[in-house]
Amino acid sequence: MKSDSLIAKLNTWMIRKLNLTCEDTSPLISELMDHKLPLGKRVRLKFHLAMCTVCSFYQKQLQVIRSLAQKLGGEEASTQQEATLSEQAKTRIKDSLKQSN
Amino acid sequence: MQEPLNSDLWVDRYGDMLYRYTLVRVKNPDSAEEIVQVTLLAALQSKGSFQGRSTEKSWLFGILKHKILDHFRVLKTQRTYELTPEDWSDPLENAYHSDGHWLEAPKNWDTDPHKAVENKQLVEAMALCMDRLSEKFRSIFVLKEIEGLNSEEICKEMDIKPTNLWVILHRIRNQLRKCLETHHWNLKK
Repeated sequence: MKSDSLIAKLNTWMIRKLNLTCEDTSPLISELMDHKLPLGKRVRLKFHLAMCTVCSFYQKQLQVIRSLAQKLGGEEASTQQEATLSEQAKTRIKDSLKQSN
Repeated sequence: MQEPLNSDLWVDRYGDMLYRYTLVRVKNPDSAEEIVQVTLLAALQSKGSFQGRSTEKSWLFGILKHKILDHFRVLKTQRTYELTPEDWSDPLENAYHSDGHWLEAPKNWDTDPHKAVENKQLVEAMALCMDRLSEKFRSIFVLKEIEGLNSEEICKEMDIKPTNLWVILHRIRNQLRKCLETHHWNLKK
């Protein structure tokens, strides 16, 4: 009996120590996209994410944003988009190339 | 056999591609036009350095990438490039209950990073949302997520401290996700 309550106390203590709020977690999720976190933060982040679906959604969203940006920025994408140089700009650039050729 | 370089055809062949590539990275269309012009002029001047090891197109893209970075460096020195009060307002401010829980929980976007890029409307929404970032935020985001520069390089290019960079990147991502939630996921309902 005595050891049970000790374990319960230990549990509460660990959860309090380990668990971050969503507010603490969100900047860490962003930071993790850019660099490795120190061990303590990393463990607490994992612990929170394991329990918090909403913060996992947030993490997934940032990953989606990253891949969308990479898709948009690729050379491949520049053949698929619709924007075009204006006719004036084209003429101007052609003229300047001729002049300096 | 490699075709000889034909600068007369550059604008018609690659002009739009180079322009679109630049427009993803640079907010202002006039600047994007100018960068394309500067790129092609630089290419013309260094025609001799074209080894034929790459295609004409990828050679031009290589020069363009340098010119875009040069553009960021010039921007950095301009006053209009300072962060606006809007940049400093955190879209996540007041986003939490006093106990640290989300007031408005992030939604399940129900897509994976590799599936998301196949969704044309979503990619277009992303382009629109990037347009809404301030110029400085956009350049930082581009350097980080598209050009893949490491944090040290970005801090050097943009004259910011690493701790500021983490805060800024977090804000940029929050602005983008908020915008995407409004323009993509809400419309789909």
